[in-house]
Amino acid sequence: METAKKTQEERGAGFRRYKTKNLVIELLPIIVLALLFAIYMTVITIRGYKMELQLTRLFNQAIVLVTVATGATFIYALGSFDISLGASVLFACTMGVLTYNATSSVALLLLVIVACGVGCSLLSASLATFFKIPPFVTTVAMMSVLSAIATTLININNTSGGTASITLPLNLLDPISSVWIKALIAGAFILLCVFVFNFTKVGRRIKFLGGNPTCAKLSGIPASVYTIIAFGIAGLGVGIGALLTLAYTPSVSSGTAGSIGMNIFVAIVFGGMPISGGAKSKIYASLIGGFSYMLLNQILLWLIGTSMNGVAQIISAALFLLIVFLTSLNYRTRLLPR
Amino acid sequence: MTQETIVIQEKEPLLQVRNIVKTFGIVKALSDVSFDLYPGEILGLIGENGSGKSTVSSIIAGMQKADSGEIFFQGKPWSASSMVDALDKGIGMIVQETGTIPGISVAENVFLGEIERFRVSHFPFAPLNKKKMNQEAEKILSLVDLHDISGSLMTGALDFVTRKLIEIAKVISKNPSIMIVDETSTALNQTGRQTLYRLMKEYRNAGKAVIFISHDLDEVIEQCDRLIVLRDGHFIQDLPKKDFSEDGIKKLMVGRSVAGDYYRSDYDGSFDPEVVMELKDASIPGSLDHVSLQIHKGEILGISGLSHCGMHTLGKVLFGARQLSDGEYLLHGKTVKNEANAMREKVGYVAKDRDTESLNLNASVSDNIAIAGLNSFSRGNFLVLYPDEKKYVNEQIDELQIKCFDRSQFVSTLSGGNKQKVVFGKWVGCGSEILILDCPTRGVDIGVKQFMYHIMYQLKKEGKTLVLISEELPELLGMSDRLIVMKDGKIQKEFPRSKDLRDVDVINYMI
Ligand SMILES: Nc1ncnc2c1ncn2[C@@H]1O[C@H](COP(=O)(O)OP(=O)(O)OP(=O)(O)O)[C@@H](O)[C@H]1O
Ligand SMILES: [Mg+2]
Repeated sequence: METAKKTQEERGAGFRRYKTKNLVIELLPIIVLALLFAIYMTVITIRGYKMELQLTRLFNQAIVLVTVATGATFIYALGSFDISLGASVLFACTMGVLTYNATSSVALLLLVIVACGVGCSLLSASLATFFKIPPFVTTVAMMSVLSAIATTLININNTSGGTASITLPLNLLDPISSVWIKALIAGAFILLCVFVFNFTKVGRRIKFLGGNPTCAKLSGIPASVYTIIAFGIAGLGVGIGALLTLAYTPSVSSGTAGSIGMNIFVAIVFGGMPISGGAKSKIYASLIGGFSYMLLNQILLWLIGTSMNGVAQIISAALFLLIVFLTSLNYRTRLLPR
Repeated sequence: MTQETIVIQEKEPLLQVRNIVKTFGIVKALSDVSFDLYPGEILGLIGENGSGKSTVSSIIAGMQKADSGEIFFQGKPWSASSMVDALDKGIGMIVQETGTIPGISVAENVFLGEIERFRVSHFPFAPLNKKKMNQEAEKILSLVDLHDISGSLMTGALDFVTRKLIEIAKVISKNPSIMIVDETSTALNQTGRQTLYRLMKEYRNAGKAVIFISHDLDEVIEQCDRLIVLRDGHFIQDLPKKDFSEDGIKKLMVGRSVAGDYYRSDYDGSFDPEVVMELKDASIPGSLDHVSLQIHKGEILGISGLSHCGMHTLGKVLFGARQLSDGEYLLHGKTVKNEANAMREKVGYVAKDRDTESLNLNASVSDNIAIAGLNSFSRGNFLVLYPDEKKYVNEQIDELQIKCFDRSQFVSTLSGGNKQKVVFGKWVGCGSEILILDCPTRGVDIGVKQFMYHIMYQLKKEGKTLVLISEELPELLGMSDRLIVMKDGKIQKEFPRSKDLRDVDVINYMI
């Protein structure tokens, strides 16, 4: 009796400790975000930068990344990877600008942008399903093709004297260029993703598929269908991301959205999502990680300066590796095949 | 106390385990476990699912470290940095689930960690003498009566039983002084088991020792010289052979007397005449050879045979996971193209290869149980809400007494039998009308087994259909309304349920 009670108590304490430890690990990305934000604000205050200006810039940079990355989380949850996302954004922007310039219809512009995003993504997924190859492989091909097409189109329709670029009329997208409208658009999409990811059968099945495809198949989850759905949602994110890009800068050159492909990957990992996908995938990872990563870049830029850009990149790469290591520690306990 | 035992046994123990404690986060898997192992004995290690058997043996075999406690091997303090290291030093273990790597050849698995031996010269990157390696591997495989497996075969392409035998061969080829056999016999077929028993006896006669873990009491009573009982990580009892009795052992394991019928008690093998599944001349080269079969509503159809007889493939066909190359399969009169089709007709399938086919190891108990039941508890067949899921999953956990600290525990950290319960709960919970069960009670302790049999019978009485594919004849005889025997992809014989049916009658048609 006495001992039974004691183990109960011991277990109670152990359980609390265990839960606390888990909670800390869960909250780590948020803590990092808060920390970076605190440093960021400190630098702004000390150096006397204009707060509103800085925050707006940060927001504008991060919002596109976060939007595209949130959609892409569905692909990462599958344990897959899409390297063509940056090229897709560029392609969607290009097609959007050309459509408007040819038709002067904003409705068509919106339609084409979203259709391009979704279309490119679905094409990658369908090709992969059809040829029974990992979707990652088709996205590599897709990346080259899309950026080649976009660059060619931009060169043909070039309107500027310097770097080749195409442009929308300057004030065309003004109605959606305010921070609040953008936040609303991105927020709506992110909410949709959170809902699908956490509260629907589709989300649950995509995560399960990422964990063990064989078992998923034997649980009645066809990989092809859910791969296509995941890519479709990611494509929608690309479309919306492209729209937000145009709302920020109405001119498109071959360098537009160039770094987004890699940044998405880094952001999701910064947000605490395992690279292998599966059950531990988190839809909020992109939101938290996207802002963290942008904050980090800005802070390094301020503290180290553009002249030493290489150093900043090395620091950010080292941090990236550290985070991958820390998150993997969590589930790298040795397990016996039992 | 230990002093006394040693005096009585008169021999020096080969292995002394002293006060081992092991905790995983909040789970105390072992508290203060001590026992001795003597040369020339087969020691049975028994206990309920999650009682700590695999944990203590894996500590001995160098797979993980204890939090505290000591182990002495041949009188000297024992420590091993890995399983390979332990095997080199004289203790080998055959693990509960697959211990072979699927992506490499059979020979490479056999010589895992010592491939270097087969380099044509001493340069580190010199090519391997594959021919020699394969030949030596084949020699080792013949130790476990695997005579027709080539060393160059890809391990992943082999069936579960063969992979298990390869693992056994790999361990005994190193000639360890102690062999630990963790819940291996249920993964084997009849012939495989005989091979294993023969090897264990050879070990005993050679003055070596075996630690044998199993939930099959008949087997334990027959093979072991002494038993150690664990319960909830505590050492409960040391039982010499003269005190072996089935009821006594059951009681020690479960902590209460296990009363009532084990299998169903009636011999009424009747069922509804309505045919729910039908195979017409079904063939898959190498697995099924013109099988024609009707399966009925409210029927428990038992399927027995040796492991290569095609019964496991048959199970996959019935679930739509394998397509026929010839013939026809109709489920409720419709053809079945894939697993999703079958699930729409409320068919569930418990696969034999648990860790790869039935479970998503890196996901929680909840994820695994809920995934098959999404259709039944989601709202509007779409919305998955947390409270609904919690209720649904907790019901299964309680019913099957799945030992986990809560439903968020990852399945990879459950004990073998508890993993099996998760799979069972996954398919029973979702209201399957037809259940295809391939070795459903593998590795499950007697208390839970009894409960699973009870559920199966209950389902039958509710008019559901069960196809029970198993290597264990007693459970087939005990549960089936109709028992078919398969051999070389054909149906060899069909038996109706009968009190007089003996296992020898069935075995004759299997071999
Ligand atoms: N890595 C781990 N993390 C958390 N719990 C663990 C871990 N490994 C084992 N456990 C727990 O330790 C307990 C003992 O497990 P163990 O595998 O030794 O049981 P067992 O006696 O072999 O059971 P079975 O008969 O089902 O194979 C179980 O409750 C299990 O969930
Ligand atoms: Mg075990």
